[in-house]
Amino acid sequence: MVPITLTVNGVKHALEVEPRWLLADVLRDELHLTGTHLGCEQGVCGACTVLLDGRPARSCLTLAVTASGCEITTVEGLAKDGVLHPVQEAFWQEHALQCGFCTPGFLMTAAHFLENNPNPTRSAIREALSGNLCRCTGYQHIVNAVERAATIIREGDSHAISQD
Amino acid sequence: MAQAMRPQMMGARVSRVEDPRLLSGQARFLDDIQVPGMLEVAFVRSPHAAARIRGIHTEKAVQYPGVHAVLTHQECSVLLWERDTYKVGQPVLANGEVCYVGQPVVAIVAENRYVAEDAAELVVVEYEPVTPVLDMRESILEQPRRVHPEAENVFFHKKYATPGFDEAFAKAPHHLTASFRTNRQTAVSMEPRGTAAMVDAASGRVTVYASTQSPHRMREDISHLMEIPEHLVRVIVPEVGGGFGMKANCYPEDIVVVAAALKYKKPVKWVSDRMESLETDVHARDDIHDVEVAFDGDGKIIAIRDHLMADGGAYPAYPFSGAVGETSLASRVLTGPYDIPHLATEIHCTYSNKTPLGAYRGVWGPIASFIQEGVVDRVARHLGLDSAEVRRRNMIRPGQFPYRNAAGMVYDEGSYLQSMEEALTLIGYEGFRARQAKLREEGRYLGIGISVFVEPTAMASSEAGSVGYESCTIRIEPSGKVTAALGLGPSGQGHETTMAQIIADQLGVRFEDIVILHGDTDSAPFGGGTGGSRSGPIGGGAALVAGRQMRERLVKYAASLLEAGEEDIELGNGQAWVAGVPDRSIAIRTIAETAYTNVRKIPEGLPIGLELTARYLPKRPVTFSNGTHIAEVEVDIHTGVVEVTRYAVVNDCGTLINPTIVEGQIHGGVAQGIGSAILEALHYDEDGQLVTTSLLDYLLPESTDVPRIDVRHLETPSEGEGGIKGMGEGSLIAAPAAIVNAISDALTPFDGMVDTLPVTPPMVLQMVSGGRTR
Ligand code: FES
Ligand code: FES
Repeated sequence: MVPITLTVNGVKHALEVEPRWLLADVLRDELHLTGTHLGCEQGVCGACTVLLDGRPARSCLTLAVTASGCEITTVEGLAKDGVLHPVQEAFWQEHALQCGFCTPGFLMTAAHFLENNPNPTRSAIREALSGNLCRCTGYQHIVNAVERAATIIREGDSHAISQD
Repeated sequence: MAQAMRPQMMGARVSRVEDPRLLSGQARFLDDIQVPGMLEVAFVRSPHAAARIRGIHTEKAVQYPGVHAVLTHQECSVLLWERDTYKVGQPVLANGEVCYVGQPVVAIVAENRYVAEDAAELVVVEYEPVTPVLDMRESILEQPRRVHPEAENVFFHKKYATPGFDEAFAKAPHHLTASFRTNRQTAVSMEPRGTAAMVDAASGRVTVYASTQSPHRMREDISHLMEIPEHLVRVIVPEVGGGFGMKANCYPEDIVVVAAALKYKKPVKWVSDRMESLETDVHARDDIHDVEVAFDGDGKIIAIRDHLMADGGAYPAYPFSGAVGETSLASRVLTGPYDIPHLATEIHCTYSNKTPLGAYRGVWGPIASFIQEGVVDRVARHLGLDSAEVRRRNMIRPGQFPYRNAAGMVYDEGSYLQSMEEALTLIGYEGFRARQAKLREEGRYLGIGISVFVEPTAMASSEAGSVGYESCTIRIEPSGKVTAALGLGPSGQGHETTMAQIIADQLGVRFEDIVILHGDTDSAPFGGGTGGSRSGPIGGGAALVAGRQMRERLVKYAASLLEAGEEDIELGNGQAWVAGVPDRSIAIRTIAETAYTNVRKIPEGLPIGLELTARYLPKRPVTFSNGTHIAEVEVDIHTGVVEVTRYAVVNDCGTLINPTIVEGQIHGGVAQGIGSAILEALHYDEDGQLVTTSLLDYLLPESTDVPRIDVRHLETPSEGEGGIKGMGEGSLIAAPAAIVNAISDALTPFDGMVDTLPVTPPMVLQMVSGGRTR
């Protein structure tokens, strides 16, 4: 067992882990944050995507020990003070999920993407999401949702500016 | 009719009540169930397609720290055998032989999955490989051997012909033949299969968490196979991350987990990893159709003869083999939306040393559409006719309903021709040919493919092995809030939303005041579960009937309490009132209070409380949805890569409950259709090894593979409750045919015609180089 520290959704945890434990398993089994899903454990489906120091990472390919000292955001950390993140809100409005198993991975990927691409084209959105697999939706409503989220975020920002 | 009877919620684009929990990471899927002391299972699986087991050595595994138990056939000898239908069944842990790669042989029960997998590697199984049976046509001839010595390889055989077939076929002026092949595919729900079980020491009941589509079926199976009275078994279906037919079976792992929980009195869980799921989730679509068609010079199809073959894998999946479902229903709907008078079919379903065949969304449908639409396009090309025009000439006309097809299936009213004409307009068929010709000159190969489909839904018996009816319990609580429970097993279809929409209209209560329960056999009335596109028409029908009965009861209460005639009572927005006199009203909450606590005021003849269960069995054994898909593709003749560039759908599933949800289902099915058409194939090598065991080898469509899909609705109501028809499968039934027809169209200059699903870049290149021209 190896001691590590992880800051997850702003909360610092000191943990003892086996060197071979995956970050996904530690988040799910040790910290009971089961919103991060495992769809393949082969690095393909993206369901396990979390933000590691602000960048999307596949928690099924990341050993927990290598994430020691890092800041991690999971789907549980997206909503703030009970208010859904614009991406979550837009996914709801646009019916961008069916079974919802892939959804946490899409939300993390999309949230990160929109931070750097506030005004994306539809094809840029498709490109950005191409590392996440969804078997239910055919992606169209997901692309719509990311487009809508971009609008919500932009309007929110201009709102904030105009209020200043 | 009272004003409130006008549907307010039915047909509305309501946002789903399921979503907040799913969006915030709070939903509970199978693997999220964590109970103190829970043990986890890993399986030792067969590395051979066919072998005798000479010995199993588990000593080292038993002694491995953290291992609680090791189970072999000796400790768990349940047989997944549907004795009435099949001569063989699968032992949940191999008994002396293995018959496919991935077959469970030994189960390790340990304190966690890491330990269980470590110990699994310490198990030594001595195998003596035997020649595997891998080729369908050979297997039918019992070559190279029988898969099971006690049973013929062909486990299902059926012949059918319309009277006068031979004469009609022979007399026709034109004939052509084609052989169609669909390769093995599988559902690949993003959430893999999984099961957890725990025993309640006090009552002795076992609670089974199962990622399944059919909670009551699972309870029956466990009860029946393990000889536990069913009232001692509770099945709870947590959030299910996709099923697509694949989670309609009872699998060996389900039984082993329950057996371990009972034996060791510990909570036990198993969750499949992706390699296990590709190896052992039921496979689908392993079919060959040898087809002969007879037609006249106008393109009118007179007769179709089809020899249908399906490779059912090593055992019949429990309780039904997908091979039988794929072939027997395909043989009955092979003429699709066309008025083709003559049909002759022969079916052979055979065993092999491959994974058992089960259901995958559409089951028979994508195969039958591939053939039926492929046949129409071949006839058109043979005669030099436009393929839309050949469809028009063959299409069942509006005046022909109810229409009995050549196999004896009766179609209820649909919008076949209209759906095609509207889809042609939607995609801009007229303008396409000019664009195609122009781009062809530039060396770009565009193609357009039409697929007009029929989708039998709400079948009296479906591949889910379900009962033909569905049940709904409605309880208006003393507070006036509503709890309703159904036997459905949703896996993303949004039943908590759609069923509440239906009930809200009936009861006149607010949508937000209704909670839908499902998936717990302790709270849900006995029902068939979800599969075969039955939940909308049959489940929704049950919700409607239960809602109406409860409405009648509310009206009686209101009439009595407001001292008015029942015919004058209207319901809505949580109130009952006298028509035209809105002041004379009573809250449904007050009625509920009366029904439970002020029981002396209950009108004569009504029971105490507001709770009832209704069961709905549709009068028709099936109702047909229909529609048309048109795909436009561009084929790169240098790489063989196909891009689906535009896509149009006109869909008719009767009265819509929630158009947004219907559109989501259609989009998803089209995406799966793109996978079926050009990406997804499970490959076995010559030793019977499955070589596609990761999502890097078995390719699912990504966001960049799927174009924008334009969807329009038509609504031809069914004769069933609410006019609802099912629609979960139609999109995947239609899509592969549309896409491969578009590829064939693009390759017209090379005389190419796709005859295999999926069609991969090397196959496209072969068609371009003339290797497959016909
Ligand atoms: S679970 Fe990590 S990529 Fe699929
Ligand atoms: S919503 Fe089911 S996999 Fe994406």
